[in-house]
Amino acid sequence: MHEASIALSLIDVASEVLRENGGARASALTVRVGAWSSVVPQALTAAFPACAQGTPLEGARLNVVTVPGVGECPTHGPVTLDLKGGLRCPQCGAPTPTLLQGDELELDEIELLEPQPEGS
Amino acid sequence: MTTTTPRIVTVRQNILKENDRTAAGNRAAFRAAGVRAINLASSPGAGKTALLERTLRDLTGSVRMGVAVGDLATENDAARLRQWGSQAEQIVTGTVCHLDADMVRAVLPRFDLPRLDVLFLENVGNLVCPSSYDLGEAARAVLISTTEGEDKPLKYPTMFNTADVVVITKMDLADAVGFDRELCRENIDRARPGVPVIELSSRSGAGLDAWFAFVRGESV
Repeated sequence: MHEASIALSLIDVASEVLRENGGARASALTVRVGAWSSVVPQALTAAFPACAQGTPLEGARLNVVTVPGVGECPTHGPVTLDLKGGLRCPQCGAPTPTLLQGDELELDEIELLEPQPEGS
Repeated sequence: MTTTTPRIVTVRQNILKENDRTAAGNRAAFRAAGVRAINLASSPGAGKTALLERTLRDLTGSVRMGVAVGDLATENDAARLRQWGSQAEQIVTGTVCHLDADMVRAVLPRFDLPRLDVLFLENVGNLVCPSSYDLGEAARAVLISTTEGEDKPLKYPTMFNTADVVVITKMDLADAVGFDRELCRENIDRARPGVPVIELSSRSGAGLDAWFAFVRGESV
């Protein structure tokens, strides 16, 4: 369970983006979590609100998009991998050593709340 | 009086970019000092410390080694490792279940890196969280013991998937516990196709030559 550590890193990255964009607060974050990333989306979602307390991310909604593993089979091309089956083509069993996707752990986008003059 | 309107900013940044940046700094420091850093990961009790004790005992004199060992609490492992004459520093992680690059960076000034050939980074016993954190190592060794069950690589694929070598420890107990060697190797290859596998016993010494070759950076 290292999702609290991940949540703290996420808040650091997001706070930096807020500063760079002149946003005071964020209302929502979208993160992409790969099936091979070792991060459990539910645990990250559970850890985030407490970690965000007292930061500009406090109260922000966390959307987690799970990214399935995709490998390259020599015969079948890109194939979706099941974590339980390992890095093997689900159709023919050939090793697919390289993940084309599925090891992501990234902040995809932030919904900023920024002050606007009334009537604009 | 102001109102707020939402604005979407596309970021696409790695959440662990700060760790990766620190890891790159560690890696540069190791390279500059000519040190091979090896990250050891396994479940608790798989035999990381026992393998390191045996390695320090057998290679002291031919390889200059140091160890940074992570645990949630106690200095017990560092004390165990020091008795073989090499420098061992404990990283007490508190409640954190893994080493990260910054913990390693913080301990490096205690070592005289140019006087070392190999620095072992013994991770916290855990087959999940350490996989996310690059420490700046040159190579990552993941250990599995014969007493753990042959399906560990399939239960914890993300850890095994980052291994440069997989070490099966406690081979002296393989027969006693009915260890299925072929099945274990097949499962390792499923999690990490093509990864080199070393079978050894830190107690009997069987198989250690291949491990020592890996430690020295020779092909396994």
